[in-house]
Amino acid sequence: MSVIAPKFRLGYFLKGIIDNALWIIVLVTLIVVPLIQVLLIYINLPVVDGELLTPFLAFTLIFHPELAVPLVEAIIRSDLFHIAAFPGFGFAALMAAAVIFVERKMLAKLQLRVGPFYCGKIEGIFQLIADGIKLVSKEIIIPDKADKPIFWVAPLLFVGAAAAFVALIPVAPGGEEFDNMPWVVADLDVGLIAVFAVIGFFPIITVLSAWSSNSKYPFIGGIRALHQMVSFEIPLILSLLGVVILTGTLNLNEIVQSQTSFPWILFLPVGAIVFFIAMLAELERIPFDLPEAESEIVAGWLTEFSGMMYGLVQLGSYVKLYAFAALFVTIFLAGYNGPSIYPDFPQDIIDDGIIIPGMTGPLLTVKPFTDGTAVLDQEMINGLIWFVLKTAAVIFFILLIRGVFPRVRIDMLLHIGWYKLIGLAFVNIFIALGLLYSGILAPAGAF
Amino acid sequence: MADALFLGIAVLTIGGAIAALELRSLIYGSIALMGMLGGIAGFFVMLDSPFVAMFQIAVYVGSIAVLILFTVMLVKRELIFKKIEDPRRKFAGIGLMLITMVAVGAVILDSGIHTITTGEDPVDFRDIGVDFLTYYWPALILMAFILAGSVMGALVLARREDFVENE
Repeated sequence: MSVIAPKFRLGYFLKGIIDNALWIIVLVTLIVVPLIQVLLIYINLPVVDGELLTPFLAFTLIFHPELAVPLVEAIIRSDLFHIAAFPGFGFAALMAAAVIFVERKMLAKLQLRVGPFYCGKIEGIFQLIADGIKLVSKEIIIPDKADKPIFWVAPLLFVGAAAAFVALIPVAPGGEEFDNMPWVVADLDVGLIAVFAVIGFFPIITVLSAWSSNSKYPFIGGIRALHQMVSFEIPLILSLLGVVILTGTLNLNEIVQSQTSFPWILFLPVGAIVFFIAMLAELERIPFDLPEAESEIVAGWLTEFSGMMYGLVQLGSYVKLYAFAALFVTIFLAGYNGPSIYPDFPQDIIDDGIIIPGMTGPLLTVKPFTDGTAVLDQEMINGLIWFVLKTAAVIFFILLIRGVFPRVRIDMLLHIGWYKLIGLAFVNIFIALGLLYSGILAPAGAF
Repeated sequence: MADALFLGIAVLTIGGAIAALELRSLIYGSIALMGMLGGIAGFFVMLDSPFVAMFQIAVYVGSIAVLILFTVMLVKRELIFKKIEDPRRKFAGIGLMLITMVAVGAVILDSGIHTITTGEDPVDFRDIGVDFLTYYWPALILMAFILAGSVMGALVLARREDFVENE
């Protein structure tokens, strides 16, 4: 008799295993296999070696992994992958999670604290997972007199709006294989206007969720958020017009490609500064975090959220932070452009696969690339590295300000927005016009 | 596909408009108004003019609907509105709406809309900008003056007489 499991008997243990195996077999036969068959009707499977990849062939992928390469390529090029995983929401959520951890650890270092320490062996690296499990397992409490439909849907809308923002950011250049299409979910001709349209949704969602909770602190926070976001949208939009004047386009990818020689921050530093400050206010970050000023109004418009609803709002706000930093990089810091730091893939591996002398086997004949072209080419990976590095640098400055500045009063905030920043944004526009009409810089075909 | 999308957007737009008028809760009414304006943006997307659609969302949904929401939240409804329930008003309203719709429809049908060919390239927003600055410049200047005048008027109206600088 052991102490840990006093009623342990081998018979019960075996019975449990057999039961589980039986249930797994039943569920797989009744649900999983028919589901796969139905899905296979709708998914266009690729052609491998002149032969359609049937489900029978799909099972041989286990023994011949080289057959999976075209399948992986097809998945990577699908719209669903773009939206859900790489340039879209999954990548942004991963960046957001990294930002949350780095922010806590960095703030702690700035304030001579330790920060997250106990979860995980190294520097509390698993703190985020622990927090996530806590948030998921917590009870969701809805206030009694809340307006329930709006209250339920507001966090989802917040995350959705942030994801829509992320979808507009070009993350990496596409190689020749993609007809030079950038890695972006939605490559719109009116990309910048679409960004303004998406930004306009955040105050609505904030104030609706604040009103729907039918509580005083959220309402005060929501009204503050509305004041702040609506008034800082104007300098935010005006500060980007200088770049639009100089590039003559609203497409974010074309704006990135116009900066192959130099980033726009060299010519329009005023606009970049105005955009950065307005961005801090739109993100409700210190020194402009009046909507959730924890020492005055509990947690502002987030007060009544609990459990995973709060988690969703936090996820949305950090995804929004990543998206704003990425927009700053895209417009002022040359986006994914940068000198080549990632080496070309060795040509003999592209041609022959990985060869180890004296050994054979299915894994060794895997060619990571089909017909001589790469799944993820060198240009794309290089661009992605530069984009991530620059975005991380901008996020670092956003976080640094939180450790340095105190919170401002609301009248000071509105004064900064309406008097100083709008004036500076107009100065920036006149700088751009001066550069244009003095003939120093002009978009192609302007004269 | 396009027809189904058109029908969906039409239902959203007209349903939103009716809901905005008929809902008792002012907040839900303004949300329905946002749905209606978003539906109009959807029509513009279907008509191959995403520029107008994005401005529709940015200006109407993002700004004007927020203004309405803000006003509604700050005002106590009972103080300014008296409930007047009179079925005759409703029927008069429906009649007025029908007359207006028939009149507008007659004007549109008479305007030669049948001769419009579909399938042409969408108009680039750069062409719209060039048109504004060349052929339509008097209208642009006039609009700018009206906007400037209204902004100045709002500033004059909102000025506080009792405010003391640097007390």
